[in-house]
Amino acid sequence: MNRRDLLKATLAAGALAGTHGLSAPALAQGAAARTLRFVPQANLANFDPIWGTQYVVRNASAMVWDTLYGVDDQLVPQRQMVEAEEHSPDFKVWTFRLRPGLKFHDGEPVLAKDVVASLARWSVRDPMGQMIRAIQQELVAVDDRTLRWTLREGFPKMLWALGKTNTPIAFIMPERIAKTDPFQQIGEYIGSGPMRFVRDEWVPGAKAVFQRFDGYVSREGTGSWLAGPKRIMVDRVEWTVMPDPATASAALQNGEVDWWENPISDLVPVLRRNRNIMVDIADPLGNIGSFRMNHLHPPFNNVKARRAILMAMSQEDYMRALVGDDDKLWKPLPGFFTPGTPLYTEEGGDILKGPRDLDAAKKLLAESGYAGEPVTCLVAQDQPITKAQGDVTADLLKRLDMNVDFVATDWGTVGQRRAMKNPPGQGGWQVFHTWHAGADCVNPASYNAVRGTGDNAWFGWPKSEATEAAIARWFAAPDLEAEKLAIAQVNRAAMEDVVYAPTGFFLTYQGWRRNVSGIQKGPLPFFWGVSKG
Amino acid sequence: MLSYIVRRVLATIPVMAVVALFVFSLLYIAPGDPAAVIAGDQATPEDVERIRASLGLDRPFLIRFGEWAFRILQGDMGNSIFTNLPVTTMIAQRIEPTLSLMALTLLLAIFIAVPMGVVAAWKQGTIIDRAVMVFAVLGFSVPVFVVGYLLAYVFALELDWLPVQGYTSFSEGLWPWLENLILPAIALGGVYIALIARITRATMLEVLSQDYIRTARAKGVGQRGILFLHALKNAAVPIVTVIGIGIALLIGGAVVTESVFAIPGLGRLTVDAILRRDYPVIQGVVLLFSFIYVLVNLAIDLAYTLFDPRIRY
Repeated sequence: MNRRDLLKATLAAGALAGTHGLSAPALAQGAAARTLRFVPQANLANFDPIWGTQYVVRNASAMVWDTLYGVDDQLVPQRQMVEAEEHSPDFKVWTFRLRPGLKFHDGEPVLAKDVVASLARWSVRDPMGQMIRAIQQELVAVDDRTLRWTLREGFPKMLWALGKTNTPIAFIMPERIAKTDPFQQIGEYIGSGPMRFVRDEWVPGAKAVFQRFDGYVSREGTGSWLAGPKRIMVDRVEWTVMPDPATASAALQNGEVDWWENPISDLVPVLRRNRNIMVDIADPLGNIGSFRMNHLHPPFNNVKARRAILMAMSQEDYMRALVGDDDKLWKPLPGFFTPGTPLYTEEGGDILKGPRDLDAAKKLLAESGYAGEPVTCLVAQDQPITKAQGDVTADLLKRLDMNVDFVATDWGTVGQRRAMKNPPGQGGWQVFHTWHAGADCVNPASYNAVRGTGDNAWFGWPKSEATEAAIARWFAAPDLEAEKLAIAQVNRAAMEDVVYAPTGFFLTYQGWRRNVSGIQKGPLPFFWGVSKG
Repeated sequence: MLSYIVRRVLATIPVMAVVALFVFSLLYIAPGDPAAVIAGDQATPEDVERIRASLGLDRPFLIRFGEWAFRILQGDMGNSIFTNLPVTTMIAQRIEPTLSLMALTLLLAIFIAVPMGVVAAWKQGTIIDRAVMVFAVLGFSVPVFVVGYLLAYVFALELDWLPVQGYTSFSEGLWPWLENLILPAIALGGVYIALIARITRATMLEVLSQDYIRTARAKGVGQRGILFLHALKNAAVPIVTVIGIGIALLIGGAVVTESVFAIPGLGRLTVDAILRRDYPVIQGVVLLFSFIYVLVNLAIDLAYTLFDPRIRY
């Protein structure tokens, strides 16, 4: 019994005794052990993983909705709801057979028509889904457990598309829900995943509750990440949203919560000093910082100006501003793809290596025609990652004798303004910062930020035909060696055209109480296999 | 009196209308885009545009305002852009923690600050008076979040007497409700206690120098009677006014306090909605707070008649 329990007991037994309504309800020890209390990275403000693509929505959705395939920690897609699949030699016709006995939370069986409707909705919003949709001839349910996807061109990366961790994930919903317009929010949260969503207890911005689904048909064997068995070891998972990291830290130390998804690095030493708390890397795939330039307007419409930035920028400055002095949390990144993954390459990344040469960068900048015009730099102050990067960039640009128009604003405003193609003096911009989850950057499949499709590209609208050609070669690559070759070409081309400037690779921590076990490192918090003593 | 109350209540209608127009216009011209937040970082500009259209955010100001105002007149605040839940439901989920916090803070502040101010005036120039003034200056100067963190560190982490965060409904028992609110109420109450204590002291000093107080003393009335029956009653009008004005302070402070102690109240709902540009929620909460503030002011005006019979409406 701790002091607070003693205080409660004393109060209950003393001054408040006999007053029935005044006694504190005691949470039985067993019930407490069967409830896992989790502090997520952000508020679960909506619960439609196709309509809203925030990571927090994906993380909650992975408990409620299952997938046809799931990637494991080796980045290999494994069968999940699918029992078997086959494809034609040219990868144009894909046939999938579902495992028997799969059920939704309302007791209805999972049928091929549900999968067809779910994939149709997903393919409107997902970058890979959009590629498949563009070459789709037919997507039909053959029988209750079989569906066929017929394409006009081969698509070898189908299993990756259906099993990837990148948002939006191809979650399977009942047909009646999946028929919702992909640009409208669903109103029912019925899945076939290992936990059901307790809608009545959902307080957006504060709390979300998930209960174990006893009808879930788990795979056998061992697995990891989204692949393999998804056995839930607790009755309930309660998410408590805590906007203040210091509060979350105190709550974890005090035993009021069991698992905190993203402790900030400043508080990690405090957590480490507590013998009841474990701290470890959350996701080995980490994140890539991004200095995004607008390719439509001067000075960064000239590749020389963009290269001057690469030549001058110190990734160490950016990373130390982000993670402090913990050297285990960052590494330089002379490339665009996630370190430690099979396709990682530094091909063409020499410009980001070695001592920084400000004089050469200034010379290159002058050659680009830059003559002191204001450079509008949008910096979201409410996101620590963008703020830290923005501060370093402002200093860098000043040292390059650039005239910085530092726009301190919030992420909501950056989200709107970065979409404007107008010149900077008319509401547009020249620089903003963001970051990309390393899981999104293991290959070009869902990596919009590395695409060079000009007007159709991601914000900044880089145009790089060489990058696009290399990405096309990756999509068509039949084996890993061919993929590696294509990615090396992507990296070199994207670096030469400076699609964007990577500011480095960084990791984050997660923390949990020692009585919790089974926590995996991965791109999202996996609740299966996690138990509480 | 009754006709006055009816007139004041009716007068809230144009006030609320002006607030509604002001809030709607302000949000319309403010930068930011909920569609971009919904779409996420990987979305294409076309996706963002389609979401914006599906939310009706691409329509002209007058049409959007007209529709919203029409719904408000029917008691419908609309649905949150993000959660798709009715704004009234979201407010209902959050109002109890905020009202509980404000009520407890108010009680705490009045029961601590008024006696403090009275005693400080009575003991003017002594160490007690100076101690009260030092406390008042501290209360004004130290930000709510600093007090909050210190309290949480001492009473939750070090002593383990109270929880760090959260809220338990009153329906689950008095102590569970109270144990979550004690630290937030003390943190939030600091500035409020300081304000009321200073006003009480200043007003009491003025009243204590009046002729009728000297007369009361000459008639042999005891110190307690003079302070609490004769002086405090006459000093009450400005104190009550400050308490009323301070409700706005409490509303502002509740935003910070709810974040520090992870209380799922209206303050956090407002901040979350502002950061996401969840317009219906912002509009609904601001209207509600405005209405509460108008009602509090009405209650304060009516309370004047209790303390000063010369005031008639």
